[in-house]
Amino acid sequence: MSDLATIAPFALAVGLALLVLAVDIAWPGRRGAVLGTTLVGLLMVAAATLDVGSGGARITAFDGAYVVDPLTTFLDLLFIGIVAFTIVFAPDYLEPRGLPLGEFAVVLLFAMTGAMLISASADLLVLFIALELMVLPGYMLAGYHKTDGYSTEGAIKYFLLGSFSSAIFLFGLAFVWGLLGTTRIEDIQAALTGGAASSPALVMGLAFLTTGVAFKIAAVPFHYWTPDAYQGSPTPVTGYLSVGPKVGAFALVLRLFVEALGPLSADWVQVVIVLAVLTMTLGNLVALTQTNVKRMLAYSSIAHTGYMLVGLAAFAVGRLEGLEGLLYYGAAYAVMNLGAFAVVGAIQRRAGVTSGLATFAGLGRREPWLAVLMTLFLLSLTGIPPTAGFFAKAYVILAAVQASQAGSAALGVLAVVAVLNAAAAAFYYLRVVVYMFMREPDSEQPVLAHGRLLWGGLVAASVLTVILGLLPGPLLDVVGQAARAIGS
Amino acid sequence: MGLADNIDIYLALAGALFAIGTFGFLARRNAISMLMSIELMLNAVNLAIVTFGAFEPALQGDGPIIALMVMAVAAAEATVGLAIVIAIFRNRRTPLVDEYDAMRR
Repeated sequence: MSDLATIAPFALAVGLALLVLAVDIAWPGRRGAVLGTTLVGLLMVAAATLDVGSGGARITAFDGAYVVDPLTTFLDLLFIGIVAFTIVFAPDYLEPRGLPLGEFAVVLLFAMTGAMLISASADLLVLFIALELMVLPGYMLAGYHKTDGYSTEGAIKYFLLGSFSSAIFLFGLAFVWGLLGTTRIEDIQAALTGGAASSPALVMGLAFLTTGVAFKIAAVPFHYWTPDAYQGSPTPVTGYLSVGPKVGAFALVLRLFVEALGPLSADWVQVVIVLAVLTMTLGNLVALTQTNVKRMLAYSSIAHTGYMLVGLAAFAVGRLEGLEGLLYYGAAYAVMNLGAFAVVGAIQRRAGVTSGLATFAGLGRREPWLAVLMTLFLLSLTGIPPTAGFFAKAYVILAAVQASQAGSAALGVLAVVAVLNAAAAAFYYLRVVVYMFMREPDSEQPVLAHGRLLWGGLVAASVLTVILGLLPGPLLDVVGQAARAIGS
Repeated sequence: MGLADNIDIYLALAGALFAIGTFGFLARRNAISMLMSIELMLNAVNLAIVTFGAFEPALQGDGPIIALMVMAVAAAEATVGLAIVIAIFRNRRTPLVDEYDAMRR
């Protein structure tokens, strides 16, 4: 396959972003044109992704800097799905506030191209540029409601901490490149397998890389930006930020730590275990005290990062199931969290409505369908069967248990901490359910009319949440293939 | 072999610049100063990259290219950052980040 044919999905995605920009310029303010172009274009990008990745083999392009393997295909399809859901949920929130949809779609699509490039990187430099391509539009989206103090406040915190961590990451990258003499992930792996890891400068470089990545996935203690960035952003953006850049950052982790630094896994697994325990525990404990649902979901998203790190740790001590669990978790978390944020956004359709817990009081009586769907997503986030969240948690914890039976005591502790955390998290998720069905609102709120598009998206998200919970088999096959592509 | 031929001197300088940038980012309250500190950190990275490119024969071709890429990324970042700073300055009338605390009250 020629180089250009191999990068076709990525090139199509860039073209789509430019096309939507052109459509928005040609017919300003036409919501249907933007939505139609975006959704049809996303379908075409998905088809191209499937076509290029259909063989399941590893294809490289551009002298080995770009790679397509089953992991790339899986992550690309996941990103496309995340962006499609975000686009579908956005208009109902943006329009009452007078925010344009066209620019939103364009910026979001550019973020998607960055995420797709991360998953296809076989070179540290490409990886860094892809990372920036993903996060820069994210900063813009966070501040999308630019006349709103909260939105801009969230954006500046996200931006400052985000670029700070990018600089740290880049400093580490410079040293790894300078000392190993290559940016190709394959060659780094080969050099480290050959035992080039002893130099203190290289260890320092790796420490900087780890710190930068920990910021990006919002692992405790590098999570300070998360609550404010998530709470301040317009709700559809928060939904996107909590899954898109997170899955993207985990794609970076897979390419960087699992592939390039795989030979050093015995060294970095210690760090991952500590980060996982801190991230799960602190995320959940602070989420318990929140009275704003968006902020609560922000802390819960930190906790979910911790569960995904459990899968990574299990992989690092030799269980491929850990990697499968991590990927499954990413997909399940994307669906259920986007759904939950879509309901929050739908309730905020009337401009000026906050995402405070009180807004949810009496929702079960006022808008029963929204309340039922929200309950489903929250149960899934808690990890109750038969929902996607149950199998997601089950797989990562199971992998950790298997690893502990194989002799790694630390993973046993990690599994216990994860189970305790999952139990504690039930409290704050179910509190929202209690508010929706058992509390009377302080003041009567009007029933809102929601767009058909929003309902369609909500139905799709809830069906996926249930299907992944009843029939995990097909997705498990896919993530198994993706995990074997980099993990064996 | 003089001082100027020693790679360690240049790397130490890059490290020092990076540390100054990090300190500036953590100690300053002004959003613009924090942005400048980040730029200083990225410049430190570029100094390290150019140093490796100049001293390692195998890296001679790559060094300047990577440095150029980093400069492009830094410029894009500064553009987005300044736009956000301007947007928040219009809302709040202050560049001091510790007064951006509406969500923590």
